[in-house]
Amino acid sequence: MAFFGFSQPNDPFAGLSGRPDGDDDALNFEDTYDGLGDQLDETDDAFNDDTFGSAPATQQNIGKDFDFSGQTAKISTTLQEEQMLYTARQPPPKAKPTVASKGPSRTGYERYVDPGYIPALEANASIWGVGPKKPEATVQERPDQSAGAHGSSRKMMSLEEVEAAMRSQSKKPVSLPDAQVSGSSSQMYEQQWHQQIPTPQQQLGVGEPAQILQRPHPPNVPMHPQFHQSLPQHGQPEFAARSQPSPQTQILQRQKPVAQDNFNRVPAPPHTITRAQPQSVQQQPQPRQILQNPQRLSGQGQPLSQHGHGFRQAEMHRAPPTGPSHGRVPSHHAVVTHPEQLLQLSEEDRAAFLVEDAKRAKRNHKILMLSRDNGLMTPQDKNFITRIQLQQLVTATGGVDDQGPEAALAEDFYYQVYSQIRGAPRQNPHQPASQFAQTYLFQTGGRYGPQGRRHPRGGDNHIQRMEQQVQRAVEAAKAKPKNKQLVIEGSLGKISFSNSKTPKPLLNIKRPDTSDMRQQLTGRQASRPENSPIADRRQVLRNIEGVYATLMRLEDHERHSPPHLNDSSDPSTIQEHKDWQQRLQSLNQSLWHQLKVMEPINPNSPTAHPFVAMLSHPKGKKAIPRVFRHIDNQQRLTILTMIVVHMDSLDVIAQAVPITEEPASLSRMVKEEVELFAQTVIPSVFGHINESPLGIITGLLGLVLERTNIPLVARTKIGLSLLTILISRAELLKQSNPEIDPAEWKQWMVDYDSLFDTLEPYLSLLFTTAINDAEDVYVWQFLAAMGVGASPEQQQRLVIGVKDRVMETVKVSRALPQEMASVRLGHVNLFMRAIGLDVDLLG
Amino acid sequence: MLFFSFFKTLVDHSVTVELKNDISIRGTLKSVDQYLNIKLDDISVVDDLHYPHLSSVKNVFIRGSVVRYVHLPAGSVDTALLEDASRREAQQVTAKAKQ
Repeated sequence: MAFFGFSQPNDPFAGLSGRPDGDDDALNFEDTYDGLGDQLDETDDAFNDDTFGSAPATQQNIGKDFDFSGQTAKISTTLQEEQMLYTARQPPPKAKPTVASKGPSRTGYERYVDPGYIPALEANASIWGVGPKKPEATVQERPDQSAGAHGSSRKMMSLEEVEAAMRSQSKKPVSLPDAQVSGSSSQMYEQQWHQQIPTPQQQLGVGEPAQILQRPHPPNVPMHPQFHQSLPQHGQPEFAARSQPSPQTQILQRQKPVAQDNFNRVPAPPHTITRAQPQSVQQQPQPRQILQNPQRLSGQGQPLSQHGHGFRQAEMHRAPPTGPSHGRVPSHHAVVTHPEQLLQLSEEDRAAFLVEDAKRAKRNHKILMLSRDNGLMTPQDKNFITRIQLQQLVTATGGVDDQGPEAALAEDFYYQVYSQIRGAPRQNPHQPASQFAQTYLFQTGGRYGPQGRRHPRGGDNHIQRMEQQVQRAVEAAKAKPKNKQLVIEGSLGKISFSNSKTPKPLLNIKRPDTSDMRQQLTGRQASRPENSPIADRRQVLRNIEGVYATLMRLEDHERHSPPHLNDSSDPSTIQEHKDWQQRLQSLNQSLWHQLKVMEPINPNSPTAHPFVAMLSHPKGKKAIPRVFRHIDNQQRLTILTMIVVHMDSLDVIAQAVPITEEPASLSRMVKEEVELFAQTVIPSVFGHINESPLGIITGLLGLVLERTNIPLVARTKIGLSLLTILISRAELLKQSNPEIDPAEWKQWMVDYDSLFDTLEPYLSLLFTTAINDAEDVYVWQFLAAMGVGASPEQQQRLVIGVKDRVMETVKVSRALPQEMASVRLGHVNLFMRAIGLDVDLLG
Repeated sequence: MLFFSFFKTLVDHSVTVELKNDISIRGTLKSVDQYLNIKLDDISVVDDLHYPHLSSVKNVFIRGSVVRYVHLPAGSVDTALLEDASRREAQQVTAKAKQ
């Protein structure tokens, strides 16, 4: 009210006081700002944190009670006495000694520690004529007196106080006032609060600032009791609760209720804790007694001075603390340590202390909740469950523990290898599977670890026992007899067991004896003509499977490769290596045998050579790259020779020759086969040819010329590709190695010329696709390879042969979009550049 | 074990499980066991208009025996490896049969 009562015509804070209206337009700061703020000295902010605490200020942690010095002064006598009494009679409390020792440097109560201060306070108290023995009278009188005191203290407001008032108005109070540093502003706060308690929120900041001016710091202390006494009774608990973060004075003034409030309020579920977890409260000795403190009621409304006096008297009269005549003294005395402790704490420390206390209470509550079902299961029960789980685990993994990682690979091949190739989603494929149990145990141990630490009596031991038990369980599961059936004597049926690996067979078909089967088989084979296409096909497929089986054995064998030999290898390692090599050799021989490469070539046979027949199946083609990895160079060359010799009987060539001039006459299946061949066999062949000397290339080309129908082969993609590989390799050899054997080169040139002459009439027929089809790159590649090695005269013949195609392609690509056109022209240029021309010249 | 092994690699992939009662459920494969029981997450029924009672179901556990088909994401199947795995399985079966 006083704030609005300002009679200044140009009130710079008018706009500010209007803020609670929520009218945003009125808040234009530039309009109301008159530069007063610039005069403020803001240079001493450096120690604000020391003063106010570094934590951000909130409504809760600021609290509402700031008259620290005044409040403290009121009960400083008590404080002093209690402190002295305490130090005299009791050993220092063990609780929080470090925190407490930290406190005094900041509390600002040092001056009150001065013993000489107390008499002055008492003298001041007597000014009011408050009879120590007449509390009721005091209560009656005080409201009036306080009103009078307020009335006489108007119209003097320092800049600091105005500023403080502003802060009190602002939504976020920046200052967390402390009794020492910001004495005046906090006083004002306090006063406002004390007077407005019944409706504190509404009238916050519109108190009577004028009164504040008249409240000198310590000398005025005796006034405070009145303010306090004027509080309505019902307002007090709330007030105490609000002032919790900065309650030094409050606590001292009304030691019991406040302390009790503090301890009741801070934990989240107060009732549960105080009841169910007495030990949490017991960690501070006082609160429990506070709860039982009979003085609580009297302490609330009683004037403090009386309180203090009575107390002093009680102290004086008293002999032992447990005197029966003073019902409240013992408890009072016992409580003293607590407020004093709290008092000695700084703001932050106390906040931390309270927070910690709350935490502790919360935890205790949690433990209580958790421990409700404690002891429901005995350790034996738990072990039993664990064993069941582990057994489940052992069987769920298909018993891969049985023979180690190799068995895991056998049982779970796809998953293990897939994980290895594409990144394991879970465990490392080569991780020993027995680690399953280990991992499981480790996790369990980790989870129960803390508890084990808390109960060192049985924890670790228990875990150990469980580990052993689990170990035994796993072993037992492993050792379990693999009987799949149990025939009880005299029974008609049998009981079959199943596990994850071998599910219970629902159908039990008796397998005919293998010898019988073989007889039948041979009988059937005998009854059929030897070279029937079906039998043939079956045989080929069987051959391919044989190859794959051997390949897998080879690959398995390679995984078991013993460590590399070096000089220091011991004999057993050497022997191991030798055995390994031997086995590898035999496997290689077996593979070679199964590939049927060395089967005699029978040119007149109606059926294809077994090896070539294999290549006619997709899986035969797919086997080639894997086979090439495991055979030596000589064997590769042999295979290559076989392919070249049988070129025109390869399905990808024989069936891929365009029958009509109509493009796209190839069936989808043939196209797929061609594609597959190009992806599997060609790379292997290409890789081998690219390492071969000229002699071999010449020999291969000679075979092609001699054994195959060149015009036919050249009209297929695969045939032309193979030719391209051969020719370009020879050319590369010549270019990279100028001093090539002239005789060899001469031989090559003979073959080359022969090929050229054979192909020349068919040059324009090489293009089997329509002009619009961009799939002709392989032809241009072949032409380029031919052109590079050709003599000028041959080049000319080449150009003449494909001139039409070149011109057409150029013409077509002009009509094409830029990108496609450049691709097509690029293809043509492959050839044109090889003979020293460029498509651009044609333009 | 081959199918178990195979389906394990499809964990966290999106599959469509067709049940023997003609319901097709699409979802993320969360786990599979040796009975080929299947756990799916984030499911959606393919023909959800016909099965409104499933519209609010988010995840399912399907007993392996009621599965008719599992539609696989082709990209996450390694055919060559699968072929080899089947060969191994077949070899093991014949080896066991001979015992």
